[in-house]
Amino acid sequence: MIKEFEGRTEKEAIDNAVEALNINREEFDVEIIGTAKKSLFRKGMVKIKVHIEDDDLEEEREPVSDFEEKALTFLEGLIEKMGFPGKAQVFFREENKLGLTIVSDYSGILIGKKGKNLDAIQLLVNVYTGRLDNTIRVIVDAENYRNRHEENIVRQASRMAEQVRKTRRSKLLEPMNPFERRLVHTTLNDIDDVETKSEGEGLYRQVRILYKGSSH
Amino acid sequence: MEKDLVVYIAKSLVDDPDGVVVNIIEGEKSTILELKVSPDDIGKVIGKHGRIAKAIRTILSASATKTGKRIVLEILD
Repeated sequence: MIKEFEGRTEKEAIDNAVEALNINREEFDVEIIGTAKKSLFRKGMVKIKVHIEDDDLEEEREPVSDFEEKALTFLEGLIEKMGFPGKAQVFFREENKLGLTIVSDYSGILIGKKGKNLDAIQLLVNVYTGRLDNTIRVIVDAENYRNRHEENIVRQASRMAEQVRKTRRSKLLEPMNPFERRLVHTTLNDIDDVETKSEGEGLYRQVRILYKGSSH
Repeated sequence: MEKDLVVYIAKSLVDDPDGVVVNIIEGEKSTILELKVSPDDIGKVIGKHGRIAKAIRTILSASATKTGKRIVLEILD
């Protein structure tokens, strides 16, 4: 894992890294990427790259409860029976939430078009684990798809809103699930000149971005 | 094999794994899989508004891209 940190001095950058990652100084390597030019008003900043040995995080990826163990086993069994074998790991734990990630040579097909297959896998994992403990929601990811997908939606929504503002003509986005639509609404909520509305029926309604004139 | 996949999923979701039976009807271009479960378990493989059945079908068609054959899942009651 590689992460970037900044500080006014090299030491401060390292201290920031130690604090943010909650690890000891001995546990990672530091690479200085550069010192930003000093400007008249701003002191120069030092940027560092922190290399963390993945072994240190290996423990976190292992199951710590019967629930996690069973969820991982079911998920690995499922993708193996699909003919796309791989390994399942824990990648985050939150209250009432467990994140699993699939590491496989077949992650492309396991994700599927617009994440269709990954969503189906996630649903089945949740139905299965719901029988063990229905207070924990399980997120299934591969290749960091869910984060990348969210970023794409936010980026696309902002771009579309900009177009609506320029042309003053409304734009209809493609069908999205409730989670994705909410992401669009909240992203564009604080932009003055546009408003968003959902239209259509069923699970995959569409968001329309409308021009509502300047609020000034 | 797609039959094993359906058996694996169904057995994981039902209360009565012994009640799971899958028959294959092999056609030229498509394969029909007939899934039978105990009467009390039928809701567990279909789900509200067929959500679970839909997910199983999605997973089956992803798996079937290897062979290029169309797979149809029928849930018998």
